[in-house]
Amino acid sequence: MAFAPRLLPPRPPAPAAATARHNGGRTAPELSGPTPRVVVVTSGKGGVGKTTTTANLAASLARLNFPVVAIDADAGLRNLDLLLGLENRVHLTAADVLAGDCRLDQALIRHRSLQGLHLLCLSKPRSKLPLAFGSKTLTWVADALRRSATPPAFILIDCPAGVDAGFVTAIAPAEEAVLVTTPDITALRDADRVAGLLECDGIKDIKIIVNRVRPDLVRGEDMMSALDVQEMLGLPLLGVVPEDSEVIRSTNRGMPLVLTDPPTPAGLALERATWRLVERDAMTAVMVEEQERPKKKGGFFFSLFGG
Amino acid sequence: MAMATATAISGRVAGEASAILAPSASFLPAPLRRAPCSKTHFCAFPRGAPSKLMLKPGRLCLERQRCLLQRSSTTYALSRGDFSPVAQDVEGFLHSVVNMGFLDRLKLAWKIIFPAPTIHENTNASIAKQRLKMILFSDRCEVSDEAKKKIVENVVEALSEFVEIESRDSVQVDISTDAGLGTVYSVTVPVRRVKPEYQESDEQYRGKIVGVDFKDTGESSGNVDVTFDFYVPSENP
Repeated sequence: MAFAPRLLPPRPPAPAAATARHNGGRTAPELSGPTPRVVVVTSGKGGVGKTTTTANLAASLARLNFPVVAIDADAGLRNLDLLLGLENRVHLTAADVLAGDCRLDQALIRHRSLQGLHLLCLSKPRSKLPLAFGSKTLTWVADALRRSATPPAFILIDCPAGVDAGFVTAIAPAEEAVLVTTPDITALRDADRVAGLLECDGIKDIKIIVNRVRPDLVRGEDMMSALDVQEMLGLPLLGVVPEDSEVIRSTNRGMPLVLTDPPTPAGLALERATWRLVERDAMTAVMVEEQERPKKKGGFFFSLFGG
Repeated sequence: MAMATATAISGRVAGEASAILAPSASFLPAPLRRAPCSKTHFCAFPRGAPSKLMLKPGRLCLERQRCLLQRSSTTYALSRGDFSPVAQDVEGFLHSVVNMGFLDRLKLAWKIIFPAPTIHENTNASIAKQRLKMILFSDRCEVSDEAKKKIVENVVEALSEFVEIESRDSVQVDISTDAGLGTVYSVTVPVRRVKPEYQESDEQYRGKIVGVDFKDTGESSGNVDVTFDFYVPSENP
């Protein structure tokens, strides 16, 4: 499962984020690759932070002035609208577009403050259980967006949990994937399985975001580090996001985390991940420095001697 | 008096060190002498210059103390692991030990006699990594049922050229993980008998022993002295 690097156009060296949004003198990352770029955010296991990651990546991209469409591909349980604060404005969905009741641009919901961000939901939750979604649904939507008057630069697809029909539908139009995982053994096993399925489906560009990392546990060797995760899965790393209580607060408020000012650690990490996504870059994980180990019990005997 | 105790302690330390550091090979004084105290191996730091250690014994104590404190639990593991380079450096080590203060030598002795157990393998993260590795290997190597059937068929077919199989249904295929080898596929085939052309038999052994001559049968002396000719017929007719 080695990541085979593609030939990229020559790009300036990656920026070192000095302060909050000052990326080494550059104000915007350079877009790499043809637009629109269709990226699916998936994980396999539920609850690792796919929807949060999708919402924040989309918000970050919109703030960098890239027009982006975020699609919630979970037909049964919908959450992306809650994270973006648009739950009251969803009236028309992709199901209606496919049934012919409305146009595609009527179903796209624009964010209040971020001009370039549009949301598209697949279906309403109270409607009849979606049986009619074939695997080509989203491919059709992506093509329609590509052909529209103002095609977006990025199409982010929030994949449902699991590896069943919903997953197959969501990954159909994608060319790249962002695999979200947490550093625990269950999520990593599922992430590995999903990576295998993505490669079978033809998506070779898979990058990982390690979410909910607790640096104190990593230091105490109770949790695997991002380096371990990268070693296990063998895929390039897009970002490492620490556990942050701001995530809960921003979800409750309905505003994406990256928009909070002053920025939080998780928000900063997601912003940097967005830069790397745009530039098709990957980060290298660094080993957490070894701290002084606690002295053994035999050692206290010598501390009496002034050790 | 101080010198006597110093040498006594260093002797004991040396004895313990050699016993622990070279358990299998007997420790002889190293024939080739490296520059004395070329390696502070107990600290796992890069080798300091010999002059630093010889001319400033006070400084050495300090450095030794610091590094012992910092890596207290892992240094012993390190010195246990690699035997050969350390065994040769025990000479140098003795030199440096003699120059240490009394307290430092006592600490050293304590750490040798009561070593800190290696805690490296018991952390939760490393346990999780091990388990994850095994589970990823077995998940990735899992074959479908169809593939299992085909494996059985191919293996049985290949084997039936040489042996007679008991019955096709009693062949079992098993996929398991082993800590040392990783994923292990085992196909168990009960065999009735070997096919005649492949049987191990005496006729294959075509050479003959002729001309046996016992000079000494060994009844009296306990040694046997015998000459014989081993005749192998040539292959070409």
